[in-house]
Amino acid sequence: MPSLLLEAKNLVLRVPIFRPDDRKLLSNPTRFLTDLYFSRTRRGMVTILDGVSLALYPGERLGLIGANGAGKSTLLRVLARIYHPTEGELNINGSAKGLFNISLGMNLEATGLENIYMRGLQMGLTLKEIREHVPQIVAFSGLEDAIENPLNTYSTGMRIRLAFSVSTMVEPDILLLDEWIGASDARFRDKVKERMDSLVHKSRGLVLATHNQNLMKNLCARALVLDKGKLAFSGKVEDAQKFYNEEIVSRKLAEQTST
Amino acid sequence: MLQWLFIAWFQFLIRYRKTMLGPLWLLVGPALFIVFLGRLYGHIGSVTAEAFIPHLTIGLVVWTLISGFVISSTMVFPAAKSQILQGGMGLTGIIFVHVFSIILQFAHQIVLIVIVMVIFKVSLSWYALISLVGLALLIANGIWLSVVFGIIGARYRDLFEVMQAIMRIAFLATPIIWTADSGGRGSIMGPYLIFNPFYHYLELVRAPLLGKPIAPLSWAVVLSITAIGIVLAWLFKKHFARHVALWV
Repeated sequence: MPSLLLEAKNLVLRVPIFRPDDRKLLSNPTRFLTDLYFSRTRRGMVTILDGVSLALYPGERLGLIGANGAGKSTLLRVLARIYHPTEGELNINGSAKGLFNISLGMNLEATGLENIYMRGLQMGLTLKEIREHVPQIVAFSGLEDAIENPLNTYSTGMRIRLAFSVSTMVEPDILLLDEWIGASDARFRDKVKERMDSLVHKSRGLVLATHNQNLMKNLCARALVLDKGKLAFSGKVEDAQKFYNEEIVSRKLAEQTST
Repeated sequence: MLQWLFIAWFQFLIRYRKTMLGPLWLLVGPALFIVFLGRLYGHIGSVTAEAFIPHLTIGLVVWTLISGFVISSTMVFPAAKSQILQGGMGLTGIIFVHVFSIILQFAHQIVLIVIVMVIFKVSLSWYALISLVGLALLIANGIWLSVVFGIIGARYRDLFEVMQAIMRIAFLATPIIWTADSGGRGSIMGPYLIFNPFYHYLELVRAPLLGKPIAPLSWAVVLSITAIGIVLAWLFKKHFARHVALWV
């Protein structure tokens, strides 16, 4: 029995939410502003993960299936040690890193090159290591002509290309993917696909959350189904997808028609 | 540690990218304040410029450091939300980037102190080096303060408003634009000054540079606050740091 890459036992995550006291906004639209003076915010707790256990063996690729709001992204962030579980145990052998919101935290006033350095430093690389990565990042993103321009002159597509190239420069042991990253730019699409495939193949383990069932069938052998923060099913990917389609999707449809 | 300094330095300088003067603005604002207040007090005739302007300059620059720690620490985590949710840096990294950026601002403003010391020919003895000990203590306090206020401020955003209000009053209650030994405000505030912690921190840095003695009480107050603060920061980090990502 090989040692586990990642083991989680009974993860529970409760998250505070802040919401205003009851506002009569629907009956009286002027309260849109006036209520803000007087209504206090109340703090409530929401359980986003409720007793999730999982294990990842070396070389394994695990899929996460679930409807919107089932807790897939949150679970990935717990595995990346961004959110600490309220209860439960989490053991990780190696570095588990995710590609979450890759374009977040870019500085618009800074140039493309400066942003590469900033993100590299934030990932814990030294200036020398970053300098070695730069030519490859610039070539990959195809931004040779624009790399000295500030980011606020970039088009949306250019920003995504830069963000993707920077975020994928370090290859983590355990890759956590919240939706497969694709590109709309036709020329860039093949490169992205190639880079993603190589990331997946070089990693010692993968946890992938996606709604794309074909992709998951191709990549993963085993999958978990999350439903409202609870582990609803765990097993072979085909069985998990069947379970999800038959149990959860049809239940949702039934709920919709009954209301 | 080094990459955090680079991040802080870069973020600090990039703020001035679209300005003409760049980081020189850090000197222009306080310089105008010092010149204006120095001339005003000179006209009133209550103090001499030679005595007052070095006192004012060091006080103002050190105060910027102190209030920078106290006020901006309360928002350190909400301001770094995107880094926190991306994972890379960890809370320790975010704290150090924040502390470094405040120290960098101070390091630029030291130029003002040097200029004033040269103009008014303030003579320095070896005793002035004690000022560096005071500065080191001040920075150590900045670190624990960032942890404690950072965590409380992430949970209760009110802390930012509270500290802003307090620091505005504290600026007037600390001998920066007035002196503790002279008549006028000094004699009114004098007896209560020992209850002002900021006064003791400021004295540790300023008094050696002006060749004045430091009261033993100031050492005692600063050292005990530092010790308590470090323990507090350790407890806060241990018990509450795990919640920060959920609060920002």
